[in-house]
Amino acid sequence: MKLIVSPFTNDTMTNDTMTKGMSRIDGRLKVTGAARYSAEFTPAGMVYAVLVGSTITKGTIRSIDTKAAEKAPGVLAVITHINSPKIAGYRVEPGKQEPAKGTYKLFYNNKILFNGQPIAVVIANTFERAQYAASLVKAQYIADTHQTKLAENTAKAFAPEGDGKKTRGIADAWKTAPVKLEQEYIIPSETHSPMELHAIIAKWDAPDKLTVWTKTQGVQDTQDGIANIFKLPKANIQVNSKFVGGAFGSALQVWPHEVAAILAAQVVKRPVKLVLGRADMFTSVGYRPHTWQKIGIGANADGKLVGITHEANGQTSTYEDFNEGPAGVSHSTYACPNVNTIYKITPLDIGSPTWMRGPGEATGAFALESALDELSYALNIDPIELRIINNAETDPDNGKPFSSKYLKEAYKLGADGIGWSDRKAKPASVTKNGWLEGYGMAVGMFGAYRDKASARAIMMADGTLIIQTAVSDIGPGTGTAMVTIASDIMGIPADKIRFDMGDSSLPQAPSQGGSSTTATVGSAVYQACTDLKENFQKLIGNGGTDKPDYVAVLKKNNLPKLEVTSAVSGGPEMEKYAMYSWSVHFIKVLVHPATGVVKVDKAVCVADSGHIVSPKTARSQIVGGAIGGIGMALMEEVIIDHRYGRLVNNSFADYHLPVNADIPQIEALFVNKPDPYLNPMGAKGMGEIALIGMAAAVANAVFNATGKRIRELPITPDKLVGMENLLES
Amino acid sequence: MEDEKDYALPEFDTGEKDNSRRNFLKQSTLLTAIALTPGTAIKAADMRVDEKIAEAFEKMPVKLEVNGVAHNLSVEPRATLLDILREQLDLTGTKKGCDHGQCGACTVHVDGHRVNSCLTLGVMASGKKITTIEGLAKGDELHPMQEAFLKHDGFQCGYCTPGQIMSAVACIREGHANSEMEIREYMSGNICRCGAYPNIVNAIQEVKEGGHAV
Amino acid sequence: MKAFQYTRATTQQSAIDAIAKPGTKIIAGGTNLIDLMKRGVIAPDKLVDINQLPLNSISVNKLGHLHIGALALNSAVAEANLVKDLQPLLAMALNAGASPQLRNMATVGGNMMQRTRCAYFYDTTMPCNKREPGSGCGAIGGYNRMHAIFGASDKCIAVHPSDMCVALAALDATVTVSGRKGQRLIPFTEFHRLPGEHPEMDNTLAAGELITGISIPNNNFAKNSYYLKIRDRQSYAFALTSVAAALEISNGTIKQSRLAMGGVAHKPWRLFDAEKALIGKPATEESFKQAAEIAMQGAKAYEYNKFKLKLAPATLVEALKHAAGLV
Repeated sequence: MKLIVSPFTNDTMTNDTMTKGMSRIDGRLKVTGAARYSAEFTPAGMVYAVLVGSTITKGTIRSIDTKAAEKAPGVLAVITHINSPKIAGYRVEPGKQEPAKGTYKLFYNNKILFNGQPIAVVIANTFERAQYAASLVKAQYIADTHQTKLAENTAKAFAPEGDGKKTRGIADAWKTAPVKLEQEYIIPSETHSPMELHAIIAKWDAPDKLTVWTKTQGVQDTQDGIANIFKLPKANIQVNSKFVGGAFGSALQVWPHEVAAILAAQVVKRPVKLVLGRADMFTSVGYRPHTWQKIGIGANADGKLVGITHEANGQTSTYEDFNEGPAGVSHSTYACPNVNTIYKITPLDIGSPTWMRGPGEATGAFALESALDELSYALNIDPIELRIINNAETDPDNGKPFSSKYLKEAYKLGADGIGWSDRKAKPASVTKNGWLEGYGMAVGMFGAYRDKASARAIMMADGTLIIQTAVSDIGPGTGTAMVTIASDIMGIPADKIRFDMGDSSLPQAPSQGGSSTTATVGSAVYQACTDLKENFQKLIGNGGTDKPDYVAVLKKNNLPKLEVTSAVSGGPEMEKYAMYSWSVHFIKVLVHPATGVVKVDKAVCVADSGHIVSPKTARSQIVGGAIGGIGMALMEEVIIDHRYGRLVNNSFADYHLPVNADIPQIEALFVNKPDPYLNPMGAKGMGEIALIGMAAAVANAVFNATGKRIRELPITPDKLVGMENLLES
Repeated sequence: MEDEKDYALPEFDTGEKDNSRRNFLKQSTLLTAIALTPGTAIKAADMRVDEKIAEAFEKMPVKLEVNGVAHNLSVEPRATLLDILREQLDLTGTKKGCDHGQCGACTVHVDGHRVNSCLTLGVMASGKKITTIEGLAKGDELHPMQEAFLKHDGFQCGYCTPGQIMSAVACIREGHANSEMEIREYMSGNICRCGAYPNIVNAIQEVKEGGHAV
Repeated sequence: MKAFQYTRATTQQSAIDAIAKPGTKIIAGGTNLIDLMKRGVIAPDKLVDINQLPLNSISVNKLGHLHIGALALNSAVAEANLVKDLQPLLAMALNAGASPQLRNMATVGGNMMQRTRCAYFYDTTMPCNKREPGSGCGAIGGYNRMHAIFGASDKCIAVHPSDMCVALAALDATVTVSGRKGQRLIPFTEFHRLPGEHPEMDNTLAAGELITGISIPNNNFAKNSYYLKIRDRQSYAFALTSVAAALEISNGTIKQSRLAMGGVAHKPWRLFDAEKALIGKPATEESFKQAAEIAMQGAKAYEYNKFKLKLAPATLVEALKHAAGLV
């Protein structure tokens, strides 16, 4: 395979070009309410299913009374572990042992592994009836002592397979440095909380043939997942997910509620709709795990890092080992000769965590970038300067050259944008109208990847280009980016291009995750369009022309259409180069000294994410990730009453997401230099780096404003209240 | 009882829990408004055979004018306006994000005022004029707020968008769009997890400053 | 949600007759009631919709007393010029609560009747003496960050969630209620009650009584009043602590003051002693700090709400500074 070299060169990207850029291709459907999400289809005869969750945290179901629910008006069936049809994929092969761990199995037995675990599903002819009948299902339990508190269970922590200890140079070398510090950093569990509730409609077309409309980041991965659970031929499962109302990682796997709906549809022999309630969203579709971290970091007086030791201990469930490698950032972000990381996970009686925007890195960067900020004060070196001193010119872990890295340019852009020169190095030294003012910054990084994907390009006789691939769009504007790529190559306007996606029968595409969609699927679209254009050139003959008249060529050759399906995969350049996207977040905060209220006053986010394919949507993606990071920094926290193992803030009134009043104008800046090797567009990912680092940037700004270092998120007023003396001194 | 409207159901003694359905039916059959012979209904109730009859008695007639179209519906009192729009009228533009008045995705206009349709019972909206996102554009011509959301990319996944737009239109109509700060405060009842807030504010400011009739 | 009967009352008397029966609830805006019904916390057999009753007027009499009907919408009250001019504190408190959509639905009477946001009250699988007397209090010894520091009992440490009520408590409002025995007036500060042995009772409304309106006496606070609410985000969140502060200042000296706190007790917490301490004092931060010290006497915190012992006085001082025009 030939080495990919991006043809794009750098061009200036201003806020103006971004707002004037192409609007979303599906925008009209979204602003008119015509876009249909998973719960918004009505196959004939559809009925409603509602789950019943366990009210204990660990133990066994002694008995379960479904009589009242079954007798309630409109109820068609109640399914529990007692009467559930056997699920083929759960069966243990004869002679084989039941695996000790694995994905949670719905209605498999009477064991309770976490609070809120589905113990029954009630199916009725209206939503209201199903919901009420679900409240009538009563279980009797034999409760065991549960453990839900990470800090009290560290003795059970173990190194996850393949990702425990890793040492570069000398372990604990930071201790020998002249300037050093060691601190603990804690993040609570956070939930993805997409605005759309997870929902599925399951419809059996034949005893071995299934159609689902479900919220998923990958229609084909969901197809695979369902095929494995129900032991159906993959080709017999049609998965539709054309519009996804946000996911952020919560829709990367087949969840128990999806299994429940498919099972329910089988039992009642009718299409079944199941929409999770908002409370269930907190326990049923994963979360970013509560993680304790400790960083020891040391440098010479000139700022050169001597060593970093990064320990992390994150929670997982008892039945699944969730491993997101949060300490990895300490190996790759800076040129430090001695780095050792120790990562452990602790099984608790809570549902499994899952990938959430910036998985691993978002957690790790909060610790590393906070510690680096602390070090900058200890060294009395500007935080940006300290980072430049330790800038890695090659991948510090393996010496590979970076495919592209413009982090230094990003520092400059951001520092100018936020007005870094106004920052006072001495904490708590600036007040404005009775508020303390402070500046902070932090870096985010995330691996850039290209994976396998295919796309079909079809030129129709009327000049319409149809691009098809089985990708999902959870919000970033994938279709818009793909149409931009196709339009560039084919030389036809975007409004002549139709983009089909979110349908498992389309050409292969991976799930949308890990900031790799534009690089991966975009490459496939690029290839399909290039191949299609070549086929036209062949029809024209004589080397063709730069701007073929597609309609005329089709007509001349008496063809109704011309189509090509092209596949791409990760290339050898991925082995040769270290590939990362980088971000730098700059934050100005105001902190009220008496009440501890923190307001983000200004935010500037710079992305080194290669060539920007779709400027308008790219800007929104950076702004959106930044806001997610502000939520992580200031307010998001899943709270469990450990006596019961039960959540006490499983609602949007109590689990706070940022609202409009929390968010100032956010400036998104792009270095916009193409990565020459990752893909032909020169694009790198940006979904994760938009958030990674932001929490530390806010915490660092709060320190600059107040002199108070908050090492446990979120930074709510209670952690800062009572600093009136800062104004008087 | 004479002061309650004529469509109100009569009082009934709930009696023992097990008998409530039967008693409910027995009492309900006294209603002359529903054309069923009492004998049939009571018999059905006694034998607990016909849930369909039970259904009929648990429902109430409701008149809703949605986007200028009159609908005569029969709904259970517990059905929310949100669920009626989505499940019965197939107007799925109005979204369910939390179902508890904590996110704003379900925002619609009732008699011109923005409200959370998830906390509005359908029966309470009877006789009122409801506007949903589907009723905002004039045919193919988008409402200025819809145009502004497109232009300023006031959304990503699009799920909170109908609620945001309905709220944004009301925000201007109420006179709460006079500054960026005021817009931010008066748009805080609509959560956007994708984080489109600054773009939403810009869209509203443009519509407000453009002097469009909203 | 359990099925229920729904009727509309067209006269006050028919509403009063209806609610005299057990299992019957009044519905006005429904913003809290429907939420609770969806959670199964309340499961009435019958709802009586009172929105057709003519109880939404906002008027002032010749003594300058402001009268607001129980069915006046929160948004309508907050926007009314009469309210903004005469009692701006009330408008500020209303605008600090909920969201614009909810304020378009919620009524004054309903706001007074809203139940606590305590997580243990909302989760029907947890113990809660308010929801189920005798079942215990989940919050004592549990997650009590949002809970009371004043007036709690060993049965309940929940707080009243309203902002509007904090302002009304400060402004010496009176509640008008009607029942089968006729009409009676309840001083606003006596409308809500402390949990004591009976946390299931939020207020002193007798069975079968209907709130018909509130009145606020004329005062000289319009120039110097402020509602400050501290919360975990800038809007659309319940108070950690809030303060309604109203001052009458003459030549820099405080002549009259009214203070109440929210987020700290089972009822809007009127600070009579702190008010008295301010009279005759200069309108300075120093005086406000002294008042805050008095206000905090008797405060008692639990495991997760100790910060309120600092935040409550800080909120009080800041609110007073705003009211006095020092900020």
